[in-house]
Amino acid sequence: MKLAPQSVPYRALQKVSGFVVVAFFVANSNDWGLPAAAAAGGAILIAALAYETAYYRRFDYELTADTLDISSGVISRREREIPYRRIQNVDVSQSVIQRAIGIAAVDLETAGGSSTEGSIRFVKPAEATRLRREVQRRKSGSSAGEASATEGSADGADRDAVGPAEEELFAISPGELALVGALSFDGRLIGLLVFLSSGSVPVLSGFIPEASATALTATAIVAVGGLFLVSWILGAGVAFSNYYGFRLSRAGDELRYERGLFRRYSGSIPTEKVQTLTVSDNPAKRVLGYASLSIETAGYAPGQSGDGGSQAAVPIATTDRVYRLAHEVESFGTPTFSRPPKRIRWRYVFRYVIAVAVLVGVAFAVDWFVTPDLPWYGPAVLLLAVPPAAHLKWKHRGYWLGDDHLLTRNGFWSRTVTVVPYYRIQTVIDSRTIFQRRWNVATIVADTAGSSSFSGTSAAAVDFELDEAIELREALQERLQSALTTQRNRRDRFEWFEGDVDEAVEAGPDDDADGVDVADAEEAAGAGRAGAGNDADTGDDDAATARDAGIPDADRDAERGDTQSGDSSDSGSDADSDPVDAEDEPAIPDDGVVRPDFSTTDRDYSEPAERIDTGEYAVDRFPSDADVAHQRGGRNGEADEGTSDEETGEERTSDEETGEERTSDGGTSNQESAEDPAESDGGSAGDEK
Amino acid sequence: MTAQSLHPRIRIVWILRAVIVAAVFSLPFAGGFYIGRLPMWAPFAAGGVVLALGVVHAVLKYRRWSYEIREDALYLDRGVVTQVRTTVPLVRIQHVDSRRGPVERGVGLASCVVYTAGSRGADVRIPGLTPDGASDLREELKRLAIRADGEDAV
Repeated sequence: MKLAPQSVPYRALQKVSGFVVVAFFVANSNDWGLPAAAAAGGAILIAALAYETAYYRRFDYELTADTLDISSGVISRREREIPYRRIQNVDVSQSVIQRAIGIAAVDLETAGGSSTEGSIRFVKPAEATRLRREVQRRKSGSSAGEASATEGSADGADRDAVGPAEEELFAISPGELALVGALSFDGRLIGLLVFLSSGSVPVLSGFIPEASATALTATAIVAVGGLFLVSWILGAGVAFSNYYGFRLSRAGDELRYERGLFRRYSGSIPTEKVQTLTVSDNPAKRVLGYASLSIETAGYAPGQSGDGGSQAAVPIATTDRVYRLAHEVESFGTPTFSRPPKRIRWRYVFRYVIAVAVLVGVAFAVDWFVTPDLPWYGPAVLLLAVPPAAHLKWKHRGYWLGDDHLLTRNGFWSRTVTVVPYYRIQTVIDSRTIFQRRWNVATIVADTAGSSSFSGTSAAAVDFELDEAIELREALQERLQSALTTQRNRRDRFEWFEGDVDEAVEAGPDDDADGVDVADAEEAAGAGRAGAGNDADTGDDDAATARDAGIPDADRDAERGDTQSGDSSDSGSDADSDPVDAEDEPAIPDDGVVRPDFSTTDRDYSEPAERIDTGEYAVDRFPSDADVAHQRGGRNGEADEGTSDEETGEERTSDEETGEERTSDGGTSNQESAEDPAESDGGSAGDEK
Repeated sequence: MTAQSLHPRIRIVWILRAVIVAAVFSLPFAGGFYIGRLPMWAPFAAGGVVLALGVVHAVLKYRRWSYEIREDALYLDRGVVTQVRTTVPLVRIQHVDSRRGPVERGVGLASCVVYTAGSRGADVRIPGLTPDGASDLREELKRLAIRADGEDAV
């Protein structure tokens, strides 16, 4: 697929625009300036156009079965494949000019990496929407089993057009939009000016020594007031244009957002990729009963956050609405926060007293060197505010361990409640500064792959008693492990039961208990095949999976081959592996569910596995016993005979483990299994994310 | 596996680093002496104080540092001024490097860096290993990470 042709002049002009400023100065410099600037500008414009034409011709993207392939580059060429499964979010944005000429920028984010992994600039808006939908559809198609659940049994063409129904979760009301504007105060300008003026105050007062202190103060107050007003108007304008028409909806297993007045943003976030939720408010919002919510994924690398990282942030809504929305995304219960020990308030008191003392010191120094009339002890009044401040700081700290989530709360002026599912915890950090050790407290941070560490909102339980902190650390660790186990079980189930997931989950456990006999399993396979509408997809994916993981499961592959060839007439998709043994076709049980055979093999893992050469990639003729969906008894013996292998037995065994676990999740290749020769085509962009 | 401490020679690396820091720190004082504003002993005193602090820090750091591979996590305990205990679940390991900087090569040491997808503790470095120890640790962590099945390491 090609870019939109309009992107050529647009990109060229974009490149040249930086030159315009230079040209302006050149043009004004002397008599020859204008023609010189025009000539140079023309030359550069032509060069840019030529380059962009080449870029346009070279740029090509394609949606394959399980990757998005982008090949680009004029001078150095790059081919990039992004597996759909690894895509964290898809963002589409259009500035005013882009909207006028009908183009849109598409950004695909995967976890990690310092920049956007897939950046397609620019395509037509319709194509952008199609890309987004298509990526989502193929992604859910490639995570086994889920496609049928979300999209019913519609065939490929149908799904393409319709997609899952959208359910609106949140739409900003005009009142809320006005509030967003009113409450977003851009402090950066003030910070900058304060920073600049802090250096210039002594200088200025040196210039106007005769001005009275009152006049100075009055000017300062007016200046500060004006500054606040300007910042406020700026902040309001930016927020208004950013969040105009904000809408968040759920479609299948992804969240979609849309917003923006001048620059339109839209995009999607798969719910399964959500890392943390952050609910934040400030005293003003708390009084009015409002809060804001941001949804973080691992897609945005730290520091990359152009406009505040998470683009699907709900700027403002009534608190209960925010919590309802948050519960939609991650269903945590009703939190009851436990606070740090009360004595820790003294720590904050000391801290603030020191801060006030420093302020007084600075004021005294200024007074000493510059204007001896000012009351330098003025800042000491702040001491009165110290006890309440310490109390408030303590009051707004806390953490809560929910069933599946850790919630932490911090900050008074900008209070953030961070929701971290245990399953998303990356590392648990317990840190104690030298001062904290004096108070016998510690801080526990649950780090996630979200992008929030820069804005300082990673989930932290600050200043808790040592015992409690250690307990919390251990608890997080344990709960992460149990969450992983749960997740793994659920995932494996998806892998095994291809047909009707719900039925399988229901019927699974009790049937498994009395063992699955051969005929049953064979029947099951057939039924699963007949029942699932997405079989061809799954089959394809499995083959790819197997290739990725380096340890394909020959037997299963063959069966999938069967499945596909049997199915291809109605699915229209072509199977890429031929049926190896047609009489191997499993029969269908009455309930239509394929069940795993839990009988262990008598294979000796110290012996190398038999491998067969399929021409394309080498496969293990004898798959490991853990994830074979429908294994027949006879196979155990036959595979033991094989000993032809390129690798040592031990190496194989460890790889086997990778293989069996990787294949079960549909395509995660682990970098560490790279010694396997079959792995050669396994790793692709963004694989380890 | 019980808690492991680092190789004693790592102190040499850290002390060398402290020497460099002290040298850099004393430069402005040396400049001050050069233009005649500071007495002769100022750069030495400044450098000496920083060096002493650096050496004490290095020794304490060495005493404090320990790591341990537990059943399902890598556990690190370190830090002098701020004590940090990091738990890296084996499932979350993205990849593992063993690396040897020039100074480390000089004293015959190596280190091992464990990467996760996290934003804060994204890479955890275990210094002060013997070269063999570093590659053994890397292999061990790799094995454990594979066994732990990091399907979705994010």
